[in-house]
Formats: sequence, C-alpha cells, structure tokens
Amino acid sequence: MDNLMLNVSNIQTFIGQFHILEGVSLEVPKGAITVLLGRNGAGKTTTLKSILGLTPPREGIVEFKGNPIQGKRAYDVAAMGIGYVPEHRAIFSNLSVAENLKIAERKKGDLDKKADFIFELFPDLKRLYKLPGNHLSGGQQQMLAVARALVPDNDLLLIDEPSEGLAPILIQQMMEAIRSLSSKTTVLLVEQNFRMASQLAEYYYIIDDGKSVQHGKMADLVNDTETVHRYLGTAVGALGGKR
Amino acid sequence: MKNFSKSNKTLLIVFGLLLILGLFAYFTMGQTSFVRTSLSGLTIGALYFMVAAGLTLVFGLMDVLNFAHGTTFMIGAYMGWQFFTNPSFLFGVAPLLIAFLAGISANTLLQVYVTQWKIDESKREWIKRGLILMALVFGLIGVWGIDFLDLAETAMVAITFTTNPLSELSPQLPLAVFWYRPLLMLFSGALLAVAIAGPGDKTKTLHVDNAKRGWIVVAVLIVLTIVSVLVRESGPEAVLLMNADLRFVLSLLVGALIGAGFGAAMEASLIRPLYVRPMYQVLVTLGVAYVFKEVIQVLWEPLAYQMSRPPFFSQPGKADNLIAWFSTHNTTVDILGVTFPSYRLFIILLGILMLIGLAILMNFTRFGMIIRAGVQDRSMVEALGINVRRVFTLVFALGAGLAALGGIGAAPFIPVQPNMGDAFQLQGFIVVVIGGMGSYSGAAIGALLLGMARAFGDYLALKFSLSPAISEASTVIIMAIILIVKPSGLFGKKE
Repeated sequence: MDNLMLNVSNIQTFIGQFHILEGVSLEVPKGAITVLLGRNGAGKTTTLKSILGLTPPREGIVEFKGNPIQGKRAYDVAAMGIGYVPEHRAIFSNLSVAENLKIAERKKGDLDKKADFIFELFPDLKRLYKLPGNHLSGGQQQMLAVARALVPDNDLLLIDEPSEGLAPILIQQMMEAIRSLSSKTTVLLVEQNFRMASQLAEYYYIIDDGKSVQHGKMADLVNDTETVHRYLGTAVGALGGKR
Repeated sequence: MKNFSKSNKTLLIVFGLLLILGLFAYFTMGQTSFVRTSLSGLTIGALYFMVAAGLTLVFGLMDVLNFAHGTTFMIGAYMGWQFFTNPSFLFGVAPLLIAFLAGISANTLLQVYVTQWKIDESKREWIKRGLILMALVFGLIGVWGIDFLDLAETAMVAITFTTNPLSELSPQLPLAVFWYRPLLMLFSGALLAVAIAGPGDKTKTLHVDNAKRGWIVVAVLIVLTIVSVLVRESGPEAVLLMNADLRFVLSLLVGALIGAGFGAAMEASLIRPLYVRPMYQVLVTLGVAYVFKEVIQVLWEPLAYQMSRPPFFSQPGKADNLIAWFSTHNTTVDILGVTFPSYRLFIILLGILMLIGLAILMNFTRFGMIIRAGVQDRSMVEALGINVRRVFTLVFALGAGLAALGGIGAAPFIPVQPNMGDAFQLQGFIVVVIGGMGSYSGAAIGALLLGMARAFGDYLALKFSLSPAISEASTVIIMAIILIVKPSGLFGKKE
C-alpha cells in the first residue's frame, strides 16, 4: 500500500463516558482530496481529532505514511507533517495575522518560504497582515486558518468544514484555494456542503453514528441519490445541493 | 485614535476613575498624606503584581489554580536571605541536588536503550517499583548524617556591617567524608530516570533527535556538580566577603532561580500527571504549600527573621531628593516633602521592570506568542506541532521565579517567616480575578488597584479610627464590584 497517505483501521474513541467512534476505517490515497460526509454529530470532527491525537482513540490503528501514530501526542503527530484546520475558524484572535502564521512555523524561515504561495491563494491576508485576528471577518478568519496550516511543509491536511457560515462567493474562493492546494498535498476534508464536496473531492467516506458505513469514488455517489438522501438527507436539502 | 479608545475602553475607564478618585483624595488629604499613601500603595501593588503575574499566566494557560504560589514567594525569600546572610546551607545542599538532577535528566537518553530491554510484561511494574525503591535507598544514604539544621542555623536579627560577616558561617563536612554523597545522589537520580524511561515498554515515543542536547544537559550538570563540590567549603566565605550590594543582586538571582527550579520540579513531578483531574491538581498544590511550609519551619524554626538591607539603600540619614540620593544612598529620601524609605522605591522599580520585561517577553518573542495563543486555545497550539507540555513547565517555572523574586525583594522590609506568603497568595488570587485570568497586563492593573485600596484604606482607618480590617475588606469589595460589572475580569477574554 505505497500510495496510501493515511490508513485508519477500526478506531474506537471515547470522550469521557461517551463512545463517540465505534469503528471508523479510512484509506486516504496520496495526492487526492478525500471527503468525510455524514450528518451533524456523526463523528466526523472526532475522526479528524483522533487521527491527530487530540482525542486519542482507545483502540484501533492509525498509520501515517506507513508509520503507526496512534497513542502519540498530538504535537509529535503534527510535527510528522500533518496540518489541521479546525472547525469554527479557530484562529488565535488575540494574535495578529502575521503572528497566527508565524506561530505555525516548525523551522525558522518556513513562513518566508511559503509567504508568496499563501498570498497568491488568499490575497486578502497580505493586506490584513498586521491586524489582530479578531478584527477579521468570518471569511477572512477561515482563510487565515487554512493559510496557517500551509506554513510548514505538511504532507497531509485535515480540513474541518471550510465552508461553514461563508457567503457563496467566499465558498467559491475557498474551493479554488483547496483545489490548488491538492496539487501539492493530500487533503482529508470534512464538509457538510454536499455541492462543494462533490465538486472538490475524488473519494468519499460516509460516517454515520460513529461508524464508517460506505466509501468509494465521488463520481459514483453523485448519481446515487438514494444513499445521499439516506445518510446526508438534511444536508443536501438545507444547503441547496439540488437547486 | 478612535480605534485606540475603542479597544482600550476598560483601561481608559479604570484610569479615568483612578484619576478622579486621586484628585479628590489629593484635595481632601493634602499633598503630604496623599504622596505618602500613594507611594505605599505603589509598593504594595508592585509586590502583589510579582505574585499575581505568575498566578495569572499559570491559570490562563493551564487552568491550574496554584495554591503553592505564596509558598514559592516564601521560599524565594528564605533562599535569597540565606544566600545573603549565611550561604553555608545553600552551598552544602547544592552538590547533592545538582547531582540528583544530573542523574534524572538522563531519562530521555536512557529511553532508547531501556525501552528495548526484553522484560516480561507482568514483571515490568515490579521492576519499576524496585528501581524507585533502590533510588530512594541510595538517596537516603546520600543525605544520611548531614546536619542540615546546623548548616541552616542563622541569627534572628540581621548582622550589621560593622561586625564580622563571617560569624554566621556554619562548618561544612570535610571533603574526605563528603565526596561519596553526590555520587550516591547521581545514582539515585539515574535509577529513577531508568524507572521513568519505562523498562521494556516498547510503545513509548522515542525522542532520538534530542539526544545531542540531552547529552549536553547531563554533561553540564555533572560539571556543575563537581564545581559545587569543590566550592562547597570556600564558597560561602567568598560570598560573604564580596561587596554587599553585589551579594544582594546575586541573592535576588539565586532566590528567583531556586523559585523557578522549584516551580519546574513541581510541575513536572506532581502537576503533569494530573492534567486530566483538575480538582486533584488544586489539592496537590495546597498539599505542597503545607509540606514546604513545614519543611521551612523544621529548618529555620517558626521564627521571624530580619534581613538587612544592602548598603546601597542603608546609609544613615535622609537624602534631600531622589537625585541627591544617588550619591548618598540614604535609608530614606525626601519626595515632595514626604520622607520615604529608599528601599521601597526599589521595590516599585522592581515591579515596573518586571512588567516591562514580561511585556517584552509576551509581545516580542516566540515563547510569548505561544503563551498568548495557548491561553486562548491550547489544543490548537498542540495541533500545530508545538510541545505544549514543555511550554507548561517553562511557564510554571517563570511564574514561580517571578513570585520568588518578589519574595526576596520583599525580605528586607517584611519579616522572613514561614507564613509570609499566605497574605500574598490570597491577594494574588483577588488580583487575578480582577485583572482577568491569563492577562499579565490585567494583573498589573489589578495589583495597582489593590495596592492603592490597601494603602488608602489604611489611611482612612487611621484617620477616622476605624478598624484596620476596612482596608483588607476593601480589596474584596473591589473584587465583588468587578465580578458584578464584568464577570470575566477587567481584561479577561476566556470564558
């Protein structure tokens, strides 16, 4: 399995007393965008956090580039080359835009090397560079959160709901950015917006009630209206997938 | 300008209120009383700040309510005072402690080998316990028979500079009967390091890439051990014979460093295993506070000692003004018609320097940036690949060091006694609540407010012959008002 960037097999994650993930298995191929689909509360975010070690799985195996990483501390996992863009635009609002990017450096000079690439993707950030994070609009914060994950050399990006709460025009811009990213790194995306997901991703996994229930190529899912309706029903209706 | 007033609204309101109150007080009290009371307030405020700065950072970043912070303040005072007055104790203990540290810091280096041992899983725990027990035995033999009480013995009243400064010195064990003790401590530490490294535990994450730095740390500590063994007997004498002002500056450093080391050791050994059980952490810090208060009482008895001021602040007489003082170094100095002890001005200066230093650290260094980010969202900081645990230890050490520096700074004008930190602990908490958790600038404002409230409260109590409890109550009243108006504190952002 040389072409696998990430291999998750049957992870079980508990948060306190609650059994959140009851067997999630994923195979994320190199150089493509894979999307995790599922209803609210299905366990998509917890899956990303379990991969990274923020909510360590109690059982199961997580392999990154062929090395087992389950049980390692999150900072060790991240330093191996995994970037994380959390949901709700979790930037550091009391730090400036520049500091938000600077803090992600793993080696001195990371930011200088990547600055041009980042500003090409998100030209707004160049203008806002000196401003504190809490002066940014929602869309700008989301862009900053993605940009932050691009500062160090990451082989895999875990991106959690990049379109959440964004205006349609910004969703378009975010999609373009993620698409151009995927030429450089592998992306594992969580996305509620089925239209965005279907246009971006090559592969999909559906997570339902803490289990991975179905997976395959995105192109096949788009035509399978029954599955889409069964597992993602509300999401498609609400976000205008059929419009 | 509009932006500035918007983002610093609270600050402007607080200073506005202070200004109004100040003007009112100035015209009702008259200049002399006002200046004297304000200066006392600043002195108290500076001390509160030194305690609260560490408390607020530790709470903001790690959610640890540190009840041992006042104890750190007290330990800083004792250690600095000992270095200044009778360094025999510190010099006698240093080789043992540094040797033990050298042993235990080999832990990450040993991990590479120790984890590869072929040990049956059922026996691992027993081997670990055996190792810890052996470490304990080695450690006990290492310190057995040293008369620590004799080393620590110091006169209650500060020696004056006319008497022989060496009269305080206690004799050290001769090298011929001492040399093996650091070795035993080194073994003890190394055994403990093996136990921590996890014998046979192949699942541990290895940090092989840090090996080079690890070797350097161990090597430096071993060299330090040897040096400290060699200077053990002559060191105290040399310290006492050096320029007393220089000795005082060194005492500040020694007190702060020992405090920082105490904080780091406490975090690494007791707090770290309990991050999943915050309630236990609170209890542990409370326990540490009691234990170390007792230890100090055993060593120096429950007495109040008086530390002498360095000659830089203690020439007899009164300087006419601040500029004249720089050439005379009198005990007191005349400021706008008020006779004020010059050493207290130094405390105010120390507080201001600390605030400036912290501001630089927090705003212009990567470490400060990580702290500010971590106060807001520490799991995201970890997800960026930053070892948050190490940052925790460093922040704990930093906070403890600041409190200890406050302690030794305060030692020349408040009695050095085992419970000297208690009042500061309580007021420190109140400052943190007022200023907002995790905000060092909030702590500065809170400390200033409380210091002023105490000073002016005392003045009012004296003037209208009220109970002095009014000034103590005033701080709690301020806290209550701020909690009602702004529950997150003046500059707190975290829920």
